[in-house]
Amino acid sequence: MKKTIHLVINDEEKSLSVDVNKTLLEVLREDLGLTGTKRGCNQGECGACTVLLNGKPVSSCSLLAVKADGKTIVTIEGLAQDGTLHPIQKAFNEKGAIQCGFCTPGMILVTKSLLEQNPKPQLAEIKEAISGNICRCTGYVKIIEAITSLVDS
Amino acid sequence: MRLPEFKYFEPAYLDEAIDLLGKHGNDCTVIAGGTELVVALKQRLQNPKYLISLDKVPSLKNITDKGDSISIGPLCTLEDIIKSKLIEEKLPALRKAAWEVGSPLLRSVATIGGNICLNTRCRFYNQSLFWRSSREACFKAGGGVCHVAKKESHCNSAFAADLPPVLISYGAKIKLRGAKGTRVLPLESFYTGDGRFPNELLKGSREILTEIEIPLPQGSYAGSYHKFRLRGSIDFPLVGAAVRLNINDEKICEEARIILTGVGPAPVEAGQACAKLVGQKLSADLISTVAGTAVSEIRPFKTTLVSPRYHQKMARVVMAEALREAGGFK
Repeated sequence: MKKTIHLVINDEEKSLSVDVNKTLLEVLREDLGLTGTKRGCNQGECGACTVLLNGKPVSSCSLLAVKADGKTIVTIEGLAQDGTLHPIQKAFNEKGAIQCGFCTPGMILVTKSLLEQNPKPQLAEIKEAISGNICRCTGYVKIIEAITSLVDS
Repeated sequence: MRLPEFKYFEPAYLDEAIDLLGKHGNDCTVIAGGTELVVALKQRLQNPKYLISLDKVPSLKNITDKGDSISIGPLCTLEDIIKSKLIEEKLPALRKAAWEVGSPLLRSVATIGGNICLNTRCRFYNQSLFWRSSREACFKAGGGVCHVAKKESHCNSAFAADLPPVLISYGAKIKLRGAKGTRVLPLESFYTGDGRFPNELLKGSREILTEIEIPLPQGSYAGSYHKFRLRGSIDFPLVGAAVRLNINDEKICEEARIILTGVGPAPVEAGQACAKLVGQKLSADLISTVAGTAVSEIRPFKTTLVSPRYHQKMARVVMAEALREAGGFK
């Protein structure tokens, strides 16, 4: 069964005919080729598939694509503008907050949402915000450094 | 893992949803946030032909102050609960329980209704179809064996939702609406105690949870919720304890309710422990005794990776923490 949904992905309005039994992650990666959003555990535990849905981070692997109807989605591809990295991406680069890079899209999007809601988060609030995103390289120290550097500047 | 094939309905009215439920009965499942259901579908724990989404039904997403009670729509997300000033002020224990669920990614989608209707869990059941195919089907999967306790003749899966213990400790009532009308029942009687079909809806009553009403107790009362899990932000609670106490001016406990989660097929009320609290002045010794009594009222099985004995030990610790917080001890 297919259903037509209307949504805004990375500032672009789209009408898509999607299979109702596809997750948002599958539609992003397979139908739209937006492979920056990663598939990790595929069970809503690891956060690799994080996207922003109406500005809030969600696990796209456990969200039916039809449930995103009428909503605004930002994926990692939506951050850099005209070949210039977003300040959060720059900070992650500069602080070496990237090892294998698999958790990075999720980490960056969660950071974006956090700083939009709370421009001056405390350390505990930063840790809480990234608690749903698992870094298997365990590079949390650098990730937190990168986020803190954005708060200070 | 892919999702199975199903048809998807988005009724705009509750009556339409109830009609669909009546028509397709056991072939359909209602979906709210879907954070548990989508995984269950991927693992083929459920194979509905139809999904009924409640997203387009208005009126299920409100948090209303009714003076002596608070009414919550089942489609309120856990984040809505956490951000509500009303709940922060009147029901801090409920806010804490919502905050303790999963991670922020999950809380912005998962709903209070979904948490109330959460299925029971077990390490042998909540696995992929491939993994499960290496063993005989257990009671919960429609078979005739319990892999957790071989001698048992029934399912011992554990109920592990965080919000229901707090809601029950406050005497919350829920509204279920079906083809024959609406019925109101205390939340504790919503749970069957049968691991296979842990609540009325999973038993197949063809109804929809439409409202949760939490009466606010009179006088001086305090509630708390404490929880223990191995991996924060990922795991379901190994044990969670909700405590609500009414303490008078002489610091005597007039009323007490203690509800545990994660340690049985339904939320467990520690009645004997409560009886030891009523009429007494709270003290560190009393808390220790009461926590011990509460632990003797539960019988956890090895539904997770930890032993039942460890489970009980941690239950005692969590229980005492919750009692200390509700009693105003630091």
